[in-house]
Amino acid sequence: MNLQQSTRRHFFSRCSIGLGSIALSTLINKDNVSAQDSNPFSPNTPHYLPKAKNVIYMFMGGGPSQLELYDWKPELAKQHGNDIPDEFVKGKRFAFMNSSFKQNNKLLGPIKKFNQHGQSGMWFSENIPNIAKIADEITMFRTCKTNLFNHAPAKLFMNTGTGIFGRPSMGSWITYGIGSESQSLPGFVVLHSGPRGPRGGAANWASGFLPTTYQGVPLRGSGDPILNLANPVGVNRKRQRDSIDVINQLNLKRLLATGDPEINTRIASYEMAYRMQSSAPELMDISQESKATLDLYGVNSGKPSFANNCLLARRLVQRGTRFVQLYHTNWDSHGGPGETLTKDFDKVTRDVDQASAALIKDLKAHGMLEDTLVIWGGEFGRTPMSEARQTKGRNHHIDAFTMWMAGGGIKPGNIVGTTDEFGFGAIDQECHVHDLHATILHLLGLDHKQLTFRFQGRDFRLTDVHGEVIQNAII
Amino acid sequence: MDLFLKNIWHRLSKVVTLAIALSIGLAKANTKEINFNQDIRPILSEQCFQCHGPDAATRKAGLRLDTRDGATHQNNGVAAIDLSNLVNSEFLVRITSTDPDSKMPPPESKRKLSKEQIQLLQQWIAEGAEYEQHWAFKQPIRPTLPTLSSKNKNWIHNAIDYFVSAKHTEEGLTPSPESDRATLIRRVSIDLTGIPPTPKQLESFISDTNPQSYERAVDRLLESPHYGERWGRHWLDAARYADSDGYSHDAARSIWPYRDWVIEALNNDLPFNHFIIQQLAGDMLPNATLDQRIATGFHRNTQINTEGGVDREQFRIDSIYDRIATTGEVMFGLTFGCAQCHDHKYDPISQVEYYRLFAFFNNADEPRIEAPTDEILFQREIREVKIKQLESRISLLTNNQTQLKSLKTELANFKKTQPKAPTTLVMAKRNKPRVTHRFIQGDFTRPAEEVQPDTPAILHPLLKQKKDRLGFAQWVANQNNPLLARVAVNRIWQHLFGKGIVQTENDFGSQGTPPTHPKLLDWLAVEFMENGWSQKNILRLLVNSATYKQTSLINNEIDQDPTNKWISRQARLRLDAELIRDVALNASGLLSPKMGGPGVFPPQPEGCMDLGQHRKTWSASNGEDRYRRAVYTYRWRNTPHPALTVFDAPDGLSACTRRIRSNTPLQALTMMNDPAFIEIAMSLSKRLITEASSTSERIRLGFQLCLNRNPNLEELHILTKLVEQQSKEFTEHTNESNALVEKATAIGQIPQITDNKAEFSAWTMVARILLNLDETITRE
Repeated sequence: MNLQQSTRRHFFSRCSIGLGSIALSTLINKDNVSAQDSNPFSPNTPHYLPKAKNVIYMFMGGGPSQLELYDWKPELAKQHGNDIPDEFVKGKRFAFMNSSFKQNNKLLGPIKKFNQHGQSGMWFSENIPNIAKIADEITMFRTCKTNLFNHAPAKLFMNTGTGIFGRPSMGSWITYGIGSESQSLPGFVVLHSGPRGPRGGAANWASGFLPTTYQGVPLRGSGDPILNLANPVGVNRKRQRDSIDVINQLNLKRLLATGDPEINTRIASYEMAYRMQSSAPELMDISQESKATLDLYGVNSGKPSFANNCLLARRLVQRGTRFVQLYHTNWDSHGGPGETLTKDFDKVTRDVDQASAALIKDLKAHGMLEDTLVIWGGEFGRTPMSEARQTKGRNHHIDAFTMWMAGGGIKPGNIVGTTDEFGFGAIDQECHVHDLHATILHLLGLDHKQLTFRFQGRDFRLTDVHGEVIQNAII
Repeated sequence: MDLFLKNIWHRLSKVVTLAIALSIGLAKANTKEINFNQDIRPILSEQCFQCHGPDAATRKAGLRLDTRDGATHQNNGVAAIDLSNLVNSEFLVRITSTDPDSKMPPPESKRKLSKEQIQLLQQWIAEGAEYEQHWAFKQPIRPTLPTLSSKNKNWIHNAIDYFVSAKHTEEGLTPSPESDRATLIRRVSIDLTGIPPTPKQLESFISDTNPQSYERAVDRLLESPHYGERWGRHWLDAARYADSDGYSHDAARSIWPYRDWVIEALNNDLPFNHFIIQQLAGDMLPNATLDQRIATGFHRNTQINTEGGVDREQFRIDSIYDRIATTGEVMFGLTFGCAQCHDHKYDPISQVEYYRLFAFFNNADEPRIEAPTDEILFQREIREVKIKQLESRISLLTNNQTQLKSLKTELANFKKTQPKAPTTLVMAKRNKPRVTHRFIQGDFTRPAEEVQPDTPAILHPLLKQKKDRLGFAQWVANQNNPLLARVAVNRIWQHLFGKGIVQTENDFGSQGTPPTHPKLLDWLAVEFMENGWSQKNILRLLVNSATYKQTSLINNEIDQDPTNKWISRQARLRLDAELIRDVALNASGLLSPKMGGPGVFPPQPEGCMDLGQHRKTWSASNGEDRYRRAVYTYRWRNTPHPALTVFDAPDGLSACTRRIRSNTPLQALTMMNDPAFIEIAMSLSKRLITEASSTSERIRLGFQLCLNRNPNLEELHILTKLVEQQSKEFTEHTNESNALVEKATAIGQIPQITDNKAEFSAWTMVARILLNLDETITRE
């Protein structure tokens, strides 16, 4: 048995200190199939045949108003200005209950005009004409429900299935569950656009108690896409190669002297880092794309934008990245300055409409839509009642809001759930965040009840003790 | 028949009876003595407690198996374990049944007993189904030292080794030899202070033949102020320390006086029981000092949500939940948090008991107070004197208007420049107590019955007269607490050996892994308590043991203990995130020894602050603060320093009692390319050129500074070749060396004694390589 083999044998039998490296090896060491089998932490092959291999999640930070986008409520328009009947709001809690913006019980009719689109006759507001055109590709979930009504906690809930800190995010669970196909890029990548970063920051893509290898890697829209990707001053590619050769040579000597397989992993890490230095800039170089593609997304070359990020998401998935999350802010339409349902809402819909639809079309054109699950939605929705600040806006709402998904085994041209006449709550088929999580994992071939990680004596899941797969959303 | 044979005979006859009774072959019967806590409880906990455990609300069929009373209780005329007819107990019928309707655990639970587990349960019941209290709830008693063979005795340095050696013998293992002197001094220096020895210290230690030299080095290290920085950081992980509020706005907060309090408390070896009491309720101690109030910052390290529209009460309650969970994990090794919404599924802690704990924390206010340093107090005093002087002079002057005016101006200016004290977050007793309710399913909008402060029945009793936060703190830090000392020494052990004696360091409950060396754990816990709860004494004992001094080399061909469960060698451990930076700074000579004060801002790449809701600035500190130990780096929760995160520094979002040690390409990119590391490499290059003249001397010095050993011939050869090649290339391509030197000049890291740009550039490459070596960032 050579050293390589013998260290591998022990590599996977070590438990506590080699954990991270074991995880990494499964991400980068694809030749090592038999060793993976004996590794308790190795990504499992999916529990059943997956429909999707990758996920692109367009996270609409701030809580988009479903009542100005997807959930057409003629009765709400009719009753504009009337009080919402007590039975809807009795005992309910809302954000800003104790603030100067007293909760207002007056119904606010939809601000935007709606039309029907596609074979299924789905309603879309005029603000999103491009998304309307992909009606026949998507399943619209009109009755999404979450538990927390403040931004940062609700983002945490949407990402980790709980408001408690220290739990892994969905992207971490998924890369833990099925690994990554990329040899030279991270498995879980986060991009952001809009006036600010997502509230909660790093907590949204944290790996919690899972090995840190699974945490999301933020990719930057300008400068080095990955931190410290560029060689330092005075170092060209050859010099970097020569230096890594010496580092690895000396590390190998130490490996022979100590027998510590962790050094093996370190050598592999330096090799992968070197590969990343060329693959990441190549990834970011969208000038390789045709003008037609750039126009499809509305990419304004050289300017970081949501459109750029959508195109990058496709390129990432093409190169083997498993989970891409795009944050775009700001959808928080309370009615105050910078958050009106008119000018500001129009701006944010303009930011995302074309590129969201383009991503679906482009994935389809590349034959990638069928195994890429695309998700679009925020951390919650908005109330049917108005919130009167400087202008009329809407408060945070958790009882019913709209998200949509496409590709990756999602039924096209499909609507799940119905809300009441005001769009306040579900009257048919509530889709709780836990159910959405269960469904997403299911499409990736993962049983949400079996994808567990033992921490503090308990098997934790993304869906905690909840979650049902939403069967009528999938093919 | 002597006693030994008699025992064997007794056991054999028992087994034979049992085997016949159960119709299983004698060959298969388990002749091992059953130990409930070792053999049975883990099976019951894993396979049964979910439905038949302490949680009354979800208990199926009214059956609980976590107590003997529950298991033997008649339920509809049937007892799961029938004491009058043990081998025919329903329990055994069910676990061996093939009928899916009666089989236990039921097939839909996806749980399944293995053959061996069934045999153990059969044997256990046949032998009387004796229960035993879970080991962790029993008071530790100092065990006697095991008897060793004379050969093994030669290996022993102190008590610890007796227990380890006894296990070696049981498992047929031999300990690894003692590490060489260089490895030893590097290991113990890094473990105790986080700073490796200087070349001088290294040399004098290696050449010191005095048998006491190692112990003396240990004493010196424990007295170093850097000890508090190193071990303080371990505690700050558990305390979820950070310098910002978290959640949406992630506003800056000032709580660094608490961080400094921790470092100082450890340096002063504040007895661990007082260390705990002061952090939980220092403000309530009689005549509480400022320091004791600052200590209560421990539970002010919770996040604060200041975004628009929040219900403050909701987040106040969330922070209490966090305080209970943290207290449980850090001080008890118990998952109290599991009982927030329902009775604990595995450990005997009910939901009502959870809210009794909640009540202790519910009656605190959360103010911010001034925390002036001695220096500020001194300055203020001087100014007070001067102010008084001016005031009395003013009062005496009535007619000289010009002079009066100038004095008044002077006085006003003086008052304005009175030095401002930093503030810190603390706990304070609330005068108007709040009423505590149990919350149905942990939902604070659904209060149920009122509850009074009290402690869980399974643990040691609380003195009746003290049902407040101070009483709680004293109860936690009480000698009768079976867990605090065990949990504390276990974590210390974990830091020195890579994993704890109990590997699930934050779960000593029934779902945790049992200790590998239970007697050693108890011996250490009792020693800790009886020796004044002195952490330094325990550390001294541990690092002086033969167990600690073993080599960490892994022999892959004959490894009998691949997971090192029995500690037949030391462990090679990658350094913690902070130390990766500290060790590099130290090697380069840049490290500032300055201690304490507000968080500092070492350089970080542009754009890292854009990832939170608000773009914050990070303007890199200059001068000494640029090169401080990383324990002083400012910690934003939402946008943490990337060079810390990439090496697994905790995020401060929840208590961290064990760091993961990952090994990733992003780490390689950080160490090779991060401008902050390049700055260090340039400084090291400058140092090598300045302090040594020949190529081999410089390489040797570089090895001593980074790896704390001398290079061997091969290593020397590899690096010599590299220097020559790089010098040649940099000489040929002056634009590259010019650029490098220009950068070094800009940050003041250019050596005075040479103007050879190619030489400096080539040595910067060597320095970078040395700083990147696995051995540099590993403690062996």
